[in-house]
Amino acid sequence: MHTRFIVLAGTLALGLGAVPAFAHHGWGGQQTEKTEISGTLRKDVSLAGPHATMQITDDKGQVWDVTLAPPPRTERAGLTPGVIPVGAKVRIVGNRNSDPKKFEIKTVRVTWDGKNFDVYPDRL
Amino acid sequence: MAALLAWLQGSPLGELMRSSGVWAYGVVNLVHILSVATLFGAVLILDLRLLGVWRRVPLAALEQPTIPLAVAGFCCAAVSGLCLVTTNATEYAGNPFVPIKFAAIALGLLNVAIVARLPAWRGRHADPLPPRHRGTLAVAGGVSLACWVGAAAAGRLIGYW
Repeated sequence: MHTRFIVLAGTLALGLGAVPAFAHHGWGGQQTEKTEISGTLRKDVSLAGPHATMQITDDKGQVWDVTLAPPPRTERAGLTPGVIPVGAKVRIVGNRNSDPKKFEIKTVRVTWDGKNFDVYPDRL
Repeated sequence: MAALLAWLQGSPLGELMRSSGVWAYGVVNLVHILSVATLFGAVLILDLRLLGVWRRVPLAALEQPTIPLAVAGFCCAAVSGLCLVTTNATEYAGNPFVPIKFAAIALGLLNVAIVARLPAWRGRHADPLPPRHRGTLAVAGGVSLACWVGAAAAGRLIGYW
C-alpha cells in the first residue's frame, strides 16, 4: 500500500510538473519590447512547418530569419508565397530573439507597398 | 549531424511535407501526438503494474492490450515524427533537447530488448512470483517509465528552445 502510494504520487508529481509545458510554446525566448526592421525580402514566404517563415536583409546588410504565425493563420492574414516580390522593400514589427547574437524575430506585422499583413493582430 | 539534417530536409518526404498545404504540418503533428499518447498510456499501465500497482490484476491480462498498443503507438509516432522533422530539419541543429530525446528513446528500446531476455520476464506468469523476480520486474518498469517520460518531456521542450 505504502509503495503504491509513493509510485502514484511520484507519477502525479511528474505529470503536474509537465503541465506548463503542454501549453503552446510562448514567446519566452523573445524580448518583450517590439523591434522594427526595414529591409528587403531575401527569401519568399514559406507556409511549411510549425510556423511560416521568410528572410529579409536589413538596411545594414544583416540577414534576419523572420518567424511568422502558423501557416493557416499567416495565409488568412493574406501573406502567401508570391505576394511580396523578392527584393521588395518591407518593414516588419515583432519581438526579436532575446539572444542578441541571433538575428531572428517573431513577427507581428509585415508592411509592404503600403499594405499591412498583421499575422498577430492581438499582439500589435 | 548538419549534413544528415540537410539531407533529411532535401529528401522527397521533406518536399512532400512542404508542398502539401498549410494544414499538413498540423495534421501530421496531431497524428504524432495521438501516437505518443497511445504509446505512453499503454507503457504507463504496464510499468505501474510491474512497479507493484494493481497486483491483483494478472500481468497476462494487462499485457494483452498494452503491448500491441505500445508497439503500434511507437511505429506511428516514428513515421509521423520523421515527416515532421524532414519539413524543416536544419532548424533542429544545435537544439540540445533533440539528442536528449533520441537518447531517451534509445534507452527505452534497449530496456525492452534487455527485459525480454531476462529470466524474471520469461517467468513473469509464475504464481507466486519469486520476490527476486518481482524486484527485477519493478526495476524494469521504473527504468522504462523514466525513459518514456524523458523522451516525451525532451520532445515537447524542443519547441521551446
